[in-house]
Amino acid sequence: MSAILFAMLRMTAPLILAATGGIISQQAGMINVALEGLMLIGAFAGVLIAYYAQSAWIGTLAAVAAGALFAGLLALAVLGLRANLIVAGLALNLLVLGLTRYLLQILFATRGAFAPERLPGLGTLEIPTLRGFPILGDIILGHSPLVYFSWILALLSAFFLDHTPEGLRLRAVGENEEAARSLGVPVNRVRALALVASGCLAGLAGVQLSLGNLQLFFENMTNGRGFIALAAIYFGQARPALTLLACLLFGLFEAIQIRLQTRVDIPPQWPQMLPFILVILVLAGVSMHRRARRMFF
Amino acid sequence: MIRAMAFRNLQEVARFMITLGIALILGAIIIQLSGREASAAYRALFESALGSRLALADSLAVSTPLILTGLATAVAFRTGVFNVGVEGSLYMGAFAAAWVGFTWPNTPSGLLISAAILAGGLAGSLWGLIPGTLKAWLDVDEIVTTIMMNYVAVSFTSYLVNYPFAVPGLANAMSPMVPSSIHLPRLLPPSQLHAGFILALLCALGVGVLFSRTTWGFEFNLQGSNPIFARWAGVRSPRVILTAMGLSGFLGGLAGAFQILGVHYRFIANFSPGYGYDGIAIALLGRTTAFGTLVGALLFGALRNGASGLELFAGIPLELVRILEAVIILMVTAEATIRLKGKQIPISVEREG
Amino acid sequence: MAYLEMRGITKRFPGVVAIDHVDFSVEEGEIHALVGENGAGKTTLMRILYGMESPDEGIIRLGGRAVRIPNPQAAIRLGIGMVHQHFQLVPSFTTLENIVLNREPRRGPLLDRQHARRALGTLIERLGLEVDLSARVSELSVGERQRVEILKLLYRNARLIILDEPTTVLTLQETHALFGMLRRLKEEGRTIIFISHRLSEVMEIADRVTVLRRGRVVGVRSVASTDERELARMMVGEVIAVARQTGHSLENAPPALIVRDVTLAEIPGRLSLKSLSFEVRRGEILGVAGVEGNGQQELVELLAGLRFPQKGQILLDGKDITFMDVRGRRRHGLAVIPPDRLQEGLSLPAPVWANLIATRYHLPPFSHLGFLNRALIQSYAAQLIQKFEVMVPSIDAPTLTLSGGNLQRLIIAREVSTPPRVLIAAHPTRGLDMRATQAIRKLLLELADQGTAVLLISTDIDELLALADRLLVLHRGEIVGFLPISQADPESLGLLMAGRRLERRG
Repeated sequence: MSAILFAMLRMTAPLILAATGGIISQQAGMINVALEGLMLIGAFAGVLIAYYAQSAWIGTLAAVAAGALFAGLLALAVLGLRANLIVAGLALNLLVLGLTRYLLQILFATRGAFAPERLPGLGTLEIPTLRGFPILGDIILGHSPLVYFSWILALLSAFFLDHTPEGLRLRAVGENEEAARSLGVPVNRVRALALVASGCLAGLAGVQLSLGNLQLFFENMTNGRGFIALAAIYFGQARPALTLLACLLFGLFEAIQIRLQTRVDIPPQWPQMLPFILVILVLAGVSMHRRARRMFF
Repeated sequence: MIRAMAFRNLQEVARFMITLGIALILGAIIIQLSGREASAAYRALFESALGSRLALADSLAVSTPLILTGLATAVAFRTGVFNVGVEGSLYMGAFAAAWVGFTWPNTPSGLLISAAILAGGLAGSLWGLIPGTLKAWLDVDEIVTTIMMNYVAVSFTSYLVNYPFAVPGLANAMSPMVPSSIHLPRLLPPSQLHAGFILALLCALGVGVLFSRTTWGFEFNLQGSNPIFARWAGVRSPRVILTAMGLSGFLGGLAGAFQILGVHYRFIANFSPGYGYDGIAIALLGRTTAFGTLVGALLFGALRNGASGLELFAGIPLELVRILEAVIILMVTAEATIRLKGKQIPISVEREG
Repeated sequence: MAYLEMRGITKRFPGVVAIDHVDFSVEEGEIHALVGENGAGKTTLMRILYGMESPDEGIIRLGGRAVRIPNPQAAIRLGIGMVHQHFQLVPSFTTLENIVLNREPRRGPLLDRQHARRALGTLIERLGLEVDLSARVSELSVGERQRVEILKLLYRNARLIILDEPTTVLTLQETHALFGMLRRLKEEGRTIIFISHRLSEVMEIADRVTVLRRGRVVGVRSVASTDERELARMMVGEVIAVARQTGHSLENAPPALIVRDVTLAEIPGRLSLKSLSFEVRRGEILGVAGVEGNGQQELVELLAGLRFPQKGQILLDGKDITFMDVRGRRRHGLAVIPPDRLQEGLSLPAPVWANLIATRYHLPPFSHLGFLNRALIQSYAAQLIQKFEVMVPSIDAPTLTLSGGNLQRLIIAREVSTPPRVLIAAHPTRGLDMRATQAIRKLLLELADQGTAVLLISTDIDELLALADRLLVLHRGEIVGFLPISQADPESLGLLMAGRRLERRG
């Protein structure tokens, strides 16, 4: 049981990071469907630079930078060139998928996976005295630093949105950009920064996948997690607390699925589908609730 | 009026070419940076895509599902529904067609193939009607729901061929084969071009007529161009949205069905390299017109087909083509809005008190 | 030397000169009214002052110094503040958050709500306002929201305050409260520019008046030395009278539209309608008067078929249409000119012919067996645009290329091509120039003469007085009185619109 919870926390970290980033851009009015691609480029850049620099931390920084760079590209396309946010986001996902595969071939002449021997990982956090702590000790300790970082970031972002002036402005831009603009808030700059921030966080999410968990990169390693993060955001109505809950829930599904695969014969596709089905149900439920309040429209 | 349309088509073609041109230039830069030769690369690409009758035929074969997914997306977009779920309809349609095929292999071929195609279309249609109903009756945002439905469809069909319909003894996840009696005939062996291409062309024609000459098409256009006004004018919006999503899903399902009946002859899990998503790009590239979508699909088909030549003869990973496609998509959506801006003339200043 | 001087300001939009070499100056500490009809250029001029538009020519001087105002933030920094006609508030934020947005007091990285509360508290007290800083703006009344908007400016130390048609959405009481506040602000030495087309209010509150017409300054007067009639003359120029409806006897005309005790529920963003009962007879024009935002939108949506009532009945020529959808009502002879021309009345990207058949495309002869009869549609469209004098480049042109007056003509052409039994006309001449306005008024009178029952909803009292046979006054979603035109004078109307009922009923 504690093994499952341990796995859950590990699975959840990239989701939390990506979802936190997604919330920031969502609150600024920009739905970010490119979380998937931003995570993937983070995973790739992290491994690539960690390998060349022989340092996982430099790799992590590179992942953040890569996420920021590509999110910046997206911001440029959408805010500067008036591209459609959804289409451009999806295009970015395709771009990253193709680019990572391309670079794998060009740089390392491999297809599929890149798992060099000398790839440093992020290590894990151990506090020997706390290890003995019943139950919690086994669950909470021993994770990559990014796992803990993800919780801290989630808290910080919730705080940022509600209690800082910049958070207020961001939310104003998302809810009524005319009002924000009339008071001098630089709407496009705020939006661009929100996208870049979500790129940084998604990049971190990606590097947690590649360096924090496994120390390798393989093609399409995000495998839809960016969309699960998006699902979590919609499940939680872009509110940090609920979204965090959704991430934990979805992470739990993934952990259970991997665990049970070796024992009970539950087809792995069911837990895979579950987050998406749940989100659709939640969205339908929310709409029905809203309808019920309006009556006869 | 016909003259005006022709002019517009000419303008569209010019835009098309410019978009393509810029993408190719960017691609050339990437190739050079990778230490290879751009001109050799593009020559190989072109040869592979269009250099011979067989190559051309193969390009047309690859474009077949793209024509249909492009049309599927265009129908929805016209109606103002941002359907990102054609990929899901494609999967469901593919499986349904395969299922009909391998479940009743001894039925007379004419009947069976019709049933398989119809089943594919209907499965895709029903799949699209789920988010469609949510949007029409509950005003649930269709972008998120259709994306989610895609993932459900891929997982679900994967489950189907790994469990209930698994073929014992096979390593890969695939369904039993459909009887050869219902394989769509090859038009130019040994290329992959099959009769599905002709059917896809017919669909393009049909959709074109739908948009410009039918009552339904008029309603789609009206609903999409201003949903608020559509309501005030008496359009039954929920019904129109449902019809559009049903039709969109049907075309997506056909795309999957034709791939199974014309190329793979069985359902294979995860068989689609993103045909549904490409449909979005193609529909936008073609400005949601049937003709434009057709041209866009042919272009992407040629690019895809040429990709293998790129790798084989110029040593460049075929993923470059994917990169080019993504760049094209980005540019299409960027300049699509710029174009609209250029045409926008403020209506009246009398309102500016 | 004047505090604010705008000299030689010119602003052009494609096809039109909105402002033509205008000189506008305001003294410090005065309340200066800027008046003119719809479309005269008042709002555009102020948008230039507030940095939301840039002038093509001209200079602006504030306190003697030439200034450049490229955006609202620059205007704010210069001490200029503007309260727009449509409020710019974030619904889910509290009053406090809306006021301090982008100028938030901080404590380190944090938003210092305490400090803000204290600072605003002093301001509110000084002005004697009643404002709940913790309330969510979405829950405030219109008058309260306007106060929030004004507080936004004062918090930013606006010395020059621009108000764009502030009283259009206020009741009489709220207007008096606003004027009281303005006088207090004036005592503090602030300067106020008051855009309006309501001359009685201008006479009451302003010190001086500048009159604009068609983008030019007609004249500047001090309020003490002029009167409403002179101002009206300056605003309008030649007054083209439309023949008043010489009441042909409507006594025996059967009612075409009956609304009986109808109640419509309240939903977010909309008022409720309570127990409405009225009739419109064949050939009658019933005017619906009221300050905007008192239920007119809801009434039109209800009658058009976009919403259904919780209680009551609606009958059209005797047929119960209470729960009939839009298409059904139109089939029974209902036509609607919607309040929002651009969003509700037309599809701008669509070609002109499409807009002309948008309500009937599914019916024969336009449609047959699922196919459109293109040739017939074309000739029909051509006929209509000729008959209703709609200026279009071609019937295939996208509708967004048309001017405001032509857009309205297009809508009317569509709605009355077959004379309807009942016509709901909401703000039919809003934002149009004199010529278009006269043409449309003439048309409405003709329709009534031919037997159409017309429900005319308008905020333009002159229009109602000129066209209607009877008036009905809406206030907060209820009917507060009926007036036959012979008994309608501005005072009774004003009282009714402010919510005081009269004893007589119609």
